Amino acid sequence: MTEMKKAEPPQDVSEYKGVMVYLDSFNNSLTRAALEMVGAGRKMADKTNEKLYCAVIGENTKGMAQEAGMHGCDEVYGFDSKDLAMYRSKPFSDILAGLVHEKKPNILIVPGSKNGRDLAARVAVKVRSGLTADCMDLDVEPDTKILLARRPDYGDSTMSEIRCEKHRPQMATSRPGTFATPDPDPKKKFQVEVREVTLEKNQLNENIISFNLKNEEDITGSKVIVSGGLGMGKPEGLQLIKKLADMLGGSVGVTRPIADLGWISREHQVGQTGETVRPNLYIAAGISGQPQHIVGMMGSKVVVSINKDPDAEMNKNADYVIIGDLYEVIPKLIESIERVTGAQPSPA
Amino acid sequence: MALELVVLIKVVPDGKEVFVDPVNFTLNRSMATNVLNPADENALEAALKIKDEHDARITVMTMAPPFAEPFLLECMSRGADQAVLISDRAVAGSDTYPTSLTVAAAIKHLGKVDIVFAGEKTSDSSTGHVGPGVAEFLEAELSSYSRSCKYEDGFVIAERELEEGVEVVKIPTPAVVTVITDSNVPRRATLRRKLDAQKQGIIVWSLQEIGLPADWVGLRSSPTVVKKMLPFPAIERKSKVIEVDKIDEFVKELVETGIIKQGGN
Ligand SMILES: Cc1cc2nc3c(=O)[nH]c(=O)nc-3n(C[C@H](O)[C@H](O)[C@H](O)COP(=O)(O)OP(=O)(O)OC[C@H]3O[C@@H](n4cnc5c(N)ncnc54)[C@H](O)[C@@H]3O)c2cc1C
Ligand SMILES: Nc1ncnc2c1ncn2[C@@H]1O[C@H](COP(=O)(O)O)[C@@H](O)[C@H]1O
Repeated sequence: MTEMKKAEPPQDVSEYKGVMVYLDSFNNSLTRAALEMVGAGRKMADKTNEKLYCAVIGENTKGMAQEAGMHGCDEVYGFDSKDLAMYRSKPFSDILAGLVHEKKPNILIVPGSKNGRDLAARVAVKVRSGLTADCMDLDVEPDTKILLARRPDYGDSTMSEIRCEKHRPQMATSRPGTFATPDPDPKKKFQVEVREVTLEKNQLNENIISFNLKNEEDITGSKVIVSGGLGMGKPEGLQLIKKLADMLGGSVGVTRPIADLGWISREHQVGQTGETVRPNLYIAAGISGQPQHIVGMMGSKVVVSINKDPDAEMNKNADYVIIGDLYEVIPKLIESIERVTGAQPSPA
Repeated sequence: MALELVVLIKVVPDGKEVFVDPVNFTLNRSMATNVLNPADENALEAALKIKDEHDARITVMTMAPPFAEPFLLECMSRGADQAVLISDRAVAGSDTYPTSLTVAAAIKHLGKVDIVFAGEKTSDSSTGHVGPGVAEFLEAELSSYSRSCKYEDGFVIAERELEEGVEVVKIPTPAVVTVITDSNVPRRATLRRKLDAQKQGIIVWSLQEIGLPADWVGLRSSPTVVKKMLPFPAIERKSKVIEVDKIDEFVKELVETGIIKQGGN
């Protein structure tokens, strides 16, 4: 029961140690965002020389717990019940808050997926602490162990650093795609403890009637993304973008105005109010490179900008710049890829 | 007894009118006008849809300075029955914890409540914490990221739009439903209702009226503190210019570095 009370700092902040990561899962497997947070958590735990705890809740969590261990956790706690196969706001937040009270982590980070944000916001109230959403960067001050949670400001080209100095745990979420997933290390030592949980009746009020899997393309996992902006000038430009993307086995991205115009669904929008992506190759065609777009793709390995304007901001954020009209440059690029790699453009 | 519905709203700067200053790269908000947070328009419409079908009463509520008043009147002109403005100097600087606490206390002060509607997030701070936070304080069930919802005999049936797909949940009331942006088409105000709203006016509550001590809220009781503004992390990129007639060499380089696969991906 959460009494209506103010956020209360603990008596002794030094009792709180280590970093805890909540592991998001779907269909009994960890989400990519969960592993990204393990990587971010591991770095902070190393910096303060403390443990990395992980929590995973589901029907049968052992396999997921082991996977998290290999990716860098020291102690993984699994909570199993047949009633927990799907995310449910109340019991999941009760369990995570319970583990927080038991382990007293200094920092608690949660993947910023929709269920993750739902969970984190409830848990923050239960543990009476502060939560920072959508962090692009998570770091810890080694001496004070203060979490430095950095997030972009509203439509702005600056970032705020948000601290939660007195309350514990210091909580944050980051959008999926913000961090790279760490490589697994089969030799990593870790402990797994799986607990069977029995839920009280009133915790199971949320009844899931159905779940319809989405057919729409999820661009966040693509290795190659070709994005078009207002420079396309007309909806047909997207066909050219798609042709190039298909050839490279990649997905189509767009800037916000293109999604606003309804030329393609919102799932394809890259940026602050869209998706955060980190492909190996990001090709930006006819995109000016406003900060709200850049934040969504800055984690990309190689960036190519195709723009008529040599001074476009996008060019400064690109490894390679091709100056010219995208309607001339992209067909040449397609021909060249055919010549060099033997890839065929799909008959679009 | 009529269903009691509450809609939480926030007034935010209009995103479309905010532009980046080309000289110093900061956001120019001086020209920005205020609007109702987009998702809250959809939250209000979701409540109105329930009122279309059931005997229900809608209270819109916001914690804000008095400038929010015309927006509350606008919600009444669209069909809400009454509006509450929680206005108190002491709440200034509240982060999402004390905001959720204050709003939850005001909802309790209203009396019986069946469904609380909130937006999935605000367009200015965009945390999405307030809806779930209110649910926690009220010990209510929660359906976040909902694109539609209906009421049936003490239950809310809502469609939640998640990354993996759409989940349909059935939860008992009292419940909090957070509504996603653009999930419905908000109806317009009518002239008749506009005049009625003007006449009826809004209800203004101070912290004292909802029974919250002033030192539980505001900047000093907010766990999070904004420490400093940092420039955007710039990733150094080489910006190598590729001449159009040297595209083959460029593509070869991408193949050699493994960025593009031989034979297509
Ligand atoms: C709160 C807020 C959130 C936002 N969130 C996002 C977001 O998530 N994602 C996002 O993308 N934006 C977002 N924006 C909008 C963002 O500020 C920019 O307005 C937007 O990214 C610009 O889109 P663009 O680059 O397609 O268009 P423009 O800025 O108009 O750029 C078009 C570019 O195309 C070039 N060009 C024109 N014709 C051609 C041609 N034939 N060949 C080649 N190049 C050509 C031009 O030189 C120019 O550089 C947000 C804004 C706000 C205020
Ligand atoms: N000051 C406030 N008063 C009333 N409701 C609010 C307030 N701030 C946020 N909300 C509600 O909570 C939702 C999410 O806001 P946020 O957590 O700030 O992203 C909004 O869409 C509103 O419905």
